[in-house]
Amino acid sequence: MSAPSLIKQVLQAALFYEIWDAMKVTFKHMFHKPITFQYPREQRTLPDTHRGALALLRYDDHQERCVGCDLCEAACPSRCIKVISLEDPERPLQRFASEFYIDITKCVFCGYCVEACPVNALAMTKMYEFSTHDKRTLLFDKKRLYEIGERHLDDAKKYLYAHNQEKNVEESREYRYYFPQSVLKPTQPPPKHLG
Amino acid sequence: MGLKPATNPDVEAATIELSIDGKSVTAKSGVSLYDVISSTGKIIPAMCYHYTFDPFGSCGMCLVMQEGKKAPVRSCTAKAAAGMIIKTEGDELFQARKKAVEKHLSVHPLDCPVCDADGHCELQDMAFRHGVTNLANAKQKFIPEDTRSPVLDFNMNRCIACAECINVCKDVLMIDALQFMKKGGFNQVVPKGDFALSCEFCGDCLAVCPVGAITNKFSKYLYKPWQMKKTTTTCNYCGDGCQMYLETKDAEVVRVTSPLSWKNKWGDRADTAKGHGGLCVRGRFGFEYIDSAARLKQPLLRKGNQLVETPWLETMHQIVDRFSEIRRKHGPDAIAGLITARCTNEELYLFQKLMRTGFQTNQFDSSARYGHLNFVHASRHALGIGRSPNDWEDLTKAKAVILIGSNITETNPLTAVRIKEAIRVYKAQVVVIDSAVTNMAKLASHPVLITPGTEGLVIDGLVKAALELDLIDETSVKKHPLAFEALKAAVAHVSLEQVASQTGMSVASLKDTVAIFAEAPRSIILCAEGIVRRPDGYQNVLKLIDLAWITGKWDQPGCGVNTVTEEPNEQGAVDMGAAPEFLPGQALFSDQTARDRFAKAWDATLPAANSGADLVEILNRCRSGQIRALYVIGENPLATLPASMEVRAALDRLELLVVQDPFLTETARMAHAVLPACTSAEKDGTFTNLEGRVLRVREAIDPIGESLPDWHIMTALANALDCQWGYESSNDIQSEIMKLLPGYYNLGQPRKVVPSVDHYLSTDYTKDVGSRYRASAPSDSKSQRPFALILGQVLYHSGKLSTNAPGLITIAPNTGRLRMNPQDMERLAVGEGATVRLTSDRGSMQLAAQPDQSVAPQTCFFPEHFNEPPVKDLMSVQVDPTTGVPTFKQTRVTIEKA
Repeated sequence: MSAPSLIKQVLQAALFYEIWDAMKVTFKHMFHKPITFQYPREQRTLPDTHRGALALLRYDDHQERCVGCDLCEAACPSRCIKVISLEDPERPLQRFASEFYIDITKCVFCGYCVEACPVNALAMTKMYEFSTHDKRTLLFDKKRLYEIGERHLDDAKKYLYAHNQEKNVEESREYRYYFPQSVLKPTQPPPKHLG
Repeated sequence: MGLKPATNPDVEAATIELSIDGKSVTAKSGVSLYDVISSTGKIIPAMCYHYTFDPFGSCGMCLVMQEGKKAPVRSCTAKAAAGMIIKTEGDELFQARKKAVEKHLSVHPLDCPVCDADGHCELQDMAFRHGVTNLANAKQKFIPEDTRSPVLDFNMNRCIACAECINVCKDVLMIDALQFMKKGGFNQVVPKGDFALSCEFCGDCLAVCPVGAITNKFSKYLYKPWQMKKTTTTCNYCGDGCQMYLETKDAEVVRVTSPLSWKNKWGDRADTAKGHGGLCVRGRFGFEYIDSAARLKQPLLRKGNQLVETPWLETMHQIVDRFSEIRRKHGPDAIAGLITARCTNEELYLFQKLMRTGFQTNQFDSSARYGHLNFVHASRHALGIGRSPNDWEDLTKAKAVILIGSNITETNPLTAVRIKEAIRVYKAQVVVIDSAVTNMAKLASHPVLITPGTEGLVIDGLVKAALELDLIDETSVKKHPLAFEALKAAVAHVSLEQVASQTGMSVASLKDTVAIFAEAPRSIILCAEGIVRRPDGYQNVLKLIDLAWITGKWDQPGCGVNTVTEEPNEQGAVDMGAAPEFLPGQALFSDQTARDRFAKAWDATLPAANSGADLVEILNRCRSGQIRALYVIGENPLATLPASMEVRAALDRLELLVVQDPFLTETARMAHAVLPACTSAEKDGTFTNLEGRVLRVREAIDPIGESLPDWHIMTALANALDCQWGYESSNDIQSEIMKLLPGYYNLGQPRKVVPSVDHYLSTDYTKDVGSRYRASAPSDSKSQRPFALILGQVLYHSGKLSTNAPGLITIAPNTGRLRMNPQDMERLAVGEGATVRLTSDRGSMQLAAQPDQSVAPQTCFFPEHFNEPPVKDLMSVQVDPTTGVPTFKQTRVTIEKA
């Protein structure tokens, strides 16, 4: 062993060089902004396109958007949606979903149902926390889905805009309002014997 | 007729040759070009075309290029001509068709997601196929929906004015209930006169509508076509045996569709001779009884005064113990059974096997006893065939039809459509002899209104007229001169004038009828409830056979004496031996060879050859206490037979009454045990229809609640009674029947039958015929009781079963009103809804009256489906001495204003 390397070894041993060298990473990270965050105390900011829990939406006047057309059910690849539809007894021709179920445990969050919906009644939200003590509560019914929709209305709308399902302008909403249009806007008087 | 020549059995059209896409094709002259093209296998889109009626040419899709013409031509309305050179494909045609689709779509609302036709819509398919994505100048019609009809909703926003609904209604069904009307600037389909739709409600317009313009009220918005499981099965309302698709979603029946549909539009017009594939109101809208809330879901056992829900095991133990005890104490003849002809062939077979080998008794009967057996016995006795000899095709292609005592549109609507087609396409002459102004009488060439109850006299008159006019078929008669002389002698005393005065059918009319019948190449007699469900039914059928015999219309192809059946499997009940006098295959129970054969096959000894009791006798023996236990499957004698039969007293005396039924019927309420049975939608099996075709019944949904198929319950019962039955499905029973009755199933085709009169005419004929034509003296009661009360079937109902279908009850509720001729009402000064007193020999009751144009003067009508008020109890019962058929559908009454 040569002299300089011997001196270096002795010096390093005396000054605990290896410990300092290892601690370098620790000290570096002490002054670093942490990458992990304290979930659930801290919440992550999600992008608008995030595919979370499904929600049913209402129009601005609290009318249900859903017309019970069963297209989401047809589009669903994991068959987790079930729609039971009826004619609204008070508004002839108006179809609506009397029952609506999404089994979120089966859902693969593909968003096909939202794409299939002709009236944009379905949207995905930023809600992703499903943990529960009772698995049965994960079968979302109509009431629950509308609750989610009300609570996450802004996120749901942002989802629709982000996925180009709906435009954030007045006319686009107007077009989808009261589907089908012929129901509430008869432009001709009823036949004489009916009137 | 228009472009399509009716393929007439008498005339053959000339053959022509033309070129389609470079290929030479031969066709019949005068056929639509569209038909010629589709017969080569090429499918050109067409939205207003259907093979059952003439081309209409409104959709503009069936365009083809014809050499020599600049613009494309519509192939459906173009006549195929010799030497035509036709091109059916190409970009130019594609663009022209696309334009036609765009034209339709531009005034069509884009409400596909909420439309019931979504996924089953021809316009949608066409738009998709032609890539229509952008619509310039689209506008909506904003027409309010017409929801006035109880059955159908008309959404004319979606209508593409293809007129398929109008054409099928007018041309195929001859109802003509729809029309085009210019309203609000658009051509719309409206019910005739723009009133609420009031028709036969067969729903064939709904079936052919290629878009969602006509929707079914009972299943509106409940489904999307792709969600449903489609089961091909047989309707269980009447003996027509129509094939239908039962569409179910999970455990509920959503709707019924027919083979007739816009999806099924290519065919030869001549194919419709075997049936056009449609349904009637009962088949299409009467499905709701299947998953009705009133269905029995648990066995019921009588505990004290109440029927209590009990598990199957306990109920069966109780039943078996009590049956065994009664058999041990009082012998096997203390037990009897009744079964409905709404059960499948397999179940009827199993029932008679259970009664004969399990219970060791020959005391049982089926509901074929209410009338059909009159025909079966007569036809079997005279011609050796125990069913109708002619099928639907014969009926359609007949040149002359005598329809006697049959309101066929009401009882068997699809057989009626065959006669309508005979009138419309094959130009048949139809004589309708009935005591009511029936729908068929309005369409027939020779409608005859007769005095009620004189059908037998009319037949006397017809036979006499045939002899007088010498319309005798020499070859038929020459073989049996003795019989012919006997017949002549028998009718010698009949005078046409007297018949005319008693029946109301003029002498000229009698002679005309016989002349039409005898001179036509293919003539058919069709007799139904007015003959077989009335007194002397057996003799009257024999007289009709006499008429067919002397005119030579009994063994010619396409000729014969036929009947129609009310319940789906009455023919099957007789064929399966569910009658005390028959073994399976209509072998006589007393026939020793047949008895040996079946005893060997069943490995059992049969009850004595002379034992047995039919329906009336069973009830008598119940009343006398001889029968102590009754096993009733699906029958409801308490609600069917008049009070004078004392059914309640008979059932009250029973020690054990077991009722097996899907519903808690009146009879079931009296039972000691009620077993929940399945309806035909929940089991497999077969029905034999009125033509003798054996048709499949398939399981569409799982049994509701804890109900079980009848064969399953019977097998369990038999095994508990020490029969070693190993049936695990109705297929097992079927293979046993196949072994015992080879050729019965015959792949669903009617077996060919060869009538023979030789044995009949050469044995006892001369002795019997004399009494047959005894002039039935005009009853004295006629003067005392001026009105005839007729209990009969209405189109919207079948038996009591249909009263459990809410849809049919919406269409035809029990009004509880007596239907009378408006003239009679005027004469008696009775207004609509006013109460009248109805008095017969059996009693008297008060009920409201209602005018009905189809009721003849001096008669009144009440539907047999309803017992509220119990009009049936005014009837007196006559039992046919030969066949044991109880007749109680007609009586004489007085009507006074109350």
